[in-house]
Amino acid sequence: MNSKAASAKSDEVTLNVLNPRGKIEAVPATSPNPRLDNLDGKTIGLYSNSKPGMDNFYTVFEELLKKKYPTAKVVSMQGAFLIRDEDAQSLARQADAFVYGVGD
Amino acid sequence: MGLPGVFMVCNTFADDAKSAAADNGMPTVRRREISSADFYKLRGDVKTISPLVEGVFDALTKALTDPLAPEELEKGEQIVSDDLPAEVTVTADSYRLALEDFNQMYLDRRWGDGLPLIPPTPDAVKWMLSGTSRRRDEVIGTINPKHGIATIEKIAVNAVMAGAKPEYLPVIIAAVECLTDDSFDDLHILASAGSFNLLTVVSGPIAEEIGMEAGIGFMGHGWRANNTIGRAIRLATLNIGHTWPAINDMALTGRISPHTFFTICENAEFSPWQPYHASRGFNKGDSCVTVASIHGESQLNHFYGGMIGTWTAPGVLDRMVEDIQRNDRRSLFLWGSKGVGKYPGSGEGPRNHMIIVFPELAVEFKKMGFDQQKLQNEIYKRISNPYEDLNPAERKAMQKAIELGVIPAGRKEIFQLALKAGGKVPVLVSPDDLHVFVAGGAPGCAFSLNYYRVPPYNKTALMTKKITGAVLTRAGQ
Repeated sequence: MNSKAASAKSDEVTLNVLNPRGKIEAVPATSPNPRLDNLDGKTIGLYSNSKPGMDNFYTVFEELLKKKYPTAKVVSMQGAFLIRDEDAQSLARQADAFVYGVGD
Repeated sequence: MGLPGVFMVCNTFADDAKSAAADNGMPTVRRREISSADFYKLRGDVKTISPLVEGVFDALTKALTDPLAPEELEKGEQIVSDDLPAEVTVTADSYRLALEDFNQMYLDRRWGDGLPLIPPTPDAVKWMLSGTSRRRDEVIGTINPKHGIATIEKIAVNAVMAGAKPEYLPVIIAAVECLTDDSFDDLHILASAGSFNLLTVVSGPIAEEIGMEAGIGFMGHGWRANNTIGRAIRLATLNIGHTWPAINDMALTGRISPHTFFTICENAEFSPWQPYHASRGFNKGDSCVTVASIHGESQLNHFYGGMIGTWTAPGVLDRMVEDIQRNDRRSLFLWGSKGVGKYPGSGEGPRNHMIIVFPELAVEFKKMGFDQQKLQNEIYKRISNPYEDLNPAERKAMQKAIELGVIPAGRKEIFQLALKAGGKVPVLVSPDDLHVFVAGGAPGCAFSLNYYRVPPYNKTALMTKKITGAVLTRAGQ
């Protein structure tokens, strides 16, 4: 070991520091539900978290949907930022598939 | 829901959506993005938004019909942080380099707040823990959005990083107890795009004992106790809750006072009133921490006083009444909303106010016969509007608020009587939504910080806890 290395070694500083992060419990993960074969005759739920402008977006979406899939139907719902349980159950009863739209 | 679905999100929130999906056990949920730059600009009108919808239509509909790919069917990675080391080693040729490497590494891992950190060595954390009698492995609760587990030790690690002293630790623990309470909405102030913020108020004798500043400049810099308690709370939320700007803390303008939130104490020495926490059911001699969600940016009502101009206590009181009446009147038409969350009126509609009164004004108020409760009642009595002045939308919203429970059962009769010819309709639900305490020096100024009475994601946005477990102070033991 040369003198320079020896000098560096003698000045070496080691810091042992603790992790500040909170442990996260594992969450059981689920995969998405199977897709529809097609949209013909299906009812599509359009959920908005009530942020301004989503109603305009869905108005156009519904027009396009009916043009391209004339037998498809739409159920629109405006609700909470995080969908309420009762709204989710209601949408699940009425729709075959859904779009969950948020402005942000 | 048991249905095929697609989650549509603006592209600047894509990381947030991905993170939230994983937090909720749906890491491979189908997401489709639209341009934030386009959506927010064009959404105001059906005609202007049309090209954007046409552009994303096929992607959304195909997301409902295209079969799931094998990787989507896999359940995704289980969300654990156990793979992170409990301890990290930094070695360098000098202390200066080691300190620099440590700070850069912690920032790169998103374990810092952008300011230099004190290394949380085992020895430093042990020193910090000497401030509490509570066990280091005691679980306090979890912090949103990732529900990270807050233990006494993790709080202490963050307190060291913040530059706090052991005698501050019981205060920091109590603040975290407030934030992790099952009924407190920490998610909105830690993650929302609205840049909402947190006010922490320490009351009782521990504030003076640990050297918190309550006089001139009480919300400012230069006070180690105020500033590092606030920073420890900031770091604890960041690290235990696992938030990061533009990833899952979407505050568009950031959160003002970002490194310490707003962390203050009551000026007990010059207050002529009982401690604030006594009005919340605690004993006068207790030491407590109150956390309150507050609006971001400009939502501060300034009532003046002090040296800005000549003032009288009745004049400042008039100003309080006028400002609250005028500003809260603006949201009356929203009281009839179901709210943006689970509970009636959540995230919009009625508000609460944290009113900060400077000592000289409190003394004058006392001469006028007002303790805090009488002052609350006086302000409340005067912030009503004649029923006849309410427009049809406001009247309808108020009636709806009674039906929905936005106005709780205990206040229903008062509002039913008010919503008649000759009635006087208050702009707040209850006098208890006016929280009054003393802070500041001489001269001072009076102001209020406000927020929704019911937050979007939980039951309450205001929580007080008694400080316990202190071993280095007479108070808070």
